[in-house]
Amino acid sequence: KMAAAAAAGGLRRAGWRLWRGRAVVRCQLSPPHRALQASAVLRRVSDEQKEPLASSSQQQFDSHPTNHQPEQEPQGPRPSYTGQGGQESEDYESEEQLQHRILTAALEFVPEHGWTAEAIAEGAKTLGLSAAAAGMFHSDGSELILHFVSQCNTKLSEVLEQEQKLVQLGEAEKKPTDQFLRDAVQARLRMLIPYIEKWPQALSILLLPHNIPSSLNLLTSMIDDIWHYAGDQSTDFNWYTRRAVLTGIYNTTELVMMQDSSPDFEDTWRFLENRVADAMNMGNTANQVQSTGEAVVQGLMGAAVTVSNAQTSRAVR
Amino acid sequence: VPAERVSLRCCSTRVSLEDVNRPVIDRIIRVDHAGEYGANRIYAGQMAVLGRSSVGPVIQQMWNQEKDHLKKFNELMVAYRVRPTVLLPFWNVAGFVLGAGSALLGKKGAMACTVAVEESISDHYNSQIRTLMEEDPEKYKELLQVIKQFRDDEREHHDIGLEHDAEAAPAYSVLKTAIQLGCKAAIFLSERI
Repeated sequence: KMAAAAAAGGLRRAGWRLWRGRAVVRCQLSPPHRALQASAVLRRVSDEQKEPLASSSQQQFDSHPTNHQPEQEPQGPRPSYTGQGGQESEDYESEEQLQHRILTAALEFVPEHGWTAEAIAEGAKTLGLSAAAAGMFHSDGSELILHFVSQCNTKLSEVLEQEQKLVQLGEAEKKPTDQFLRDAVQARLRMLIPYIEKWPQALSILLLPHNIPSSLNLLTSMIDDIWHYAGDQSTDFNWYTRRAVLTGIYNTTELVMMQDSSPDFEDTWRFLENRVADAMNMGNTANQVQSTGEAVVQGLMGAAVTVSNAQTSRAVR
Repeated sequence: VPAERVSLRCCSTRVSLEDVNRPVIDRIIRVDHAGEYGANRIYAGQMAVLGRSSVGPVIQQMWNQEKDHLKKFNELMVAYRVRPTVLLPFWNVAGFVLGAGSALLGKKGAMACTVAVEESISDHYNSQIRTLMEEDPEKYKELLQVIKQFRDDEREHHDIGLEHDAEAAPAYSVLKTAIQLGCKAAIFLSERI
């Protein structure tokens, strides 16, 4: 499960990295960030009574990072908290982890404040940080939304991985493809329900040009994940067709969900069922067209042979 | 772009891939899959024209080996969760046209095409082997084994082509250069899109 989570994390990180890089560059330039880091360091020091950490961290503050990061790949020069001798202390928290925590905490305030810097500021306050921490992020709430989407995708991967384990252990039946797709899309869309009031705002922010690479990346990796767990093993152009179709289904269902006021969104799930059924039919229809085409060609060949035979026998006579 | 270390577990083949260099492996498998697919179509084109001639059995045998290669790369593609190149429908047609076209120049023309393509492919496999050896021979042991085996097969096809008077084909050097240029372009594109 760790591996799968890390895998999903890895796939997510591709999208995450695109806008994280921008955030990191900005952070190095903005004063509030430094104040935040200093305050975070001091807070940690006073909490945990670690001795050389404070002074050496302040010294290391402007230095370039070592290659010690507790988690993912290096992202270029970043201030890092390292103790003396370049050894990491155990409670080292990277900037990315801190931002993760703030954004996760901020989600609680989204229904009230929307996807805005206010929500991030409130989130930071619950972690005991100054509201100025919101200055670390873009003012339109892009990072908060992308963080949320990324989190949802990870959750979805975990759920699908769990289900797959159950099937492999024989504790559950393998679902037919259309049901699998329906359930996966429904599970993913249900994660939006707590934030449904403000989700249209989020969708429009995700469509801003500077967010499109990351949001597209997150979308495609989610769709790829769903097909992977559905058991797709295509290695030809079908790979693209299937993902394109599912992306269409997902996006249209999401839009329907925004307008849906039925109890527990039953209209949305019915819409989803119909779209998935359409997609399945499309596949069948394509096969039928192909076999009909082949039959027609064979018929024509037979006719041509008959005609040429008739002409030959007439010529002989 | 920094190499991304990703841990992956595939659902269908239960292959657990730790710390694979995703961008590099992605490219390698995608382009090799495209190459074997194209080679398949080339031989199909050649068989369509020369299937009933004296070199028919030779081409058929080489084609069968390419079919095995393609099957293997299909498996690897699913195992490593690599996406296929968008250009597959294009290689489908282009490969067949190249095979049929070269076969229409005669048996020697077909052999010349085989020599050109197989030489390109074995050079390409060699550079991939070098890349993987530089990365980590232990980690990529299975993949290296597969690519080495296939490189040897392609080399063999190349030699068979030479044995069957490829060099006596009309405009051999022009044909060979043109085809190899096309192969280079195909490799470049398939790695990326």
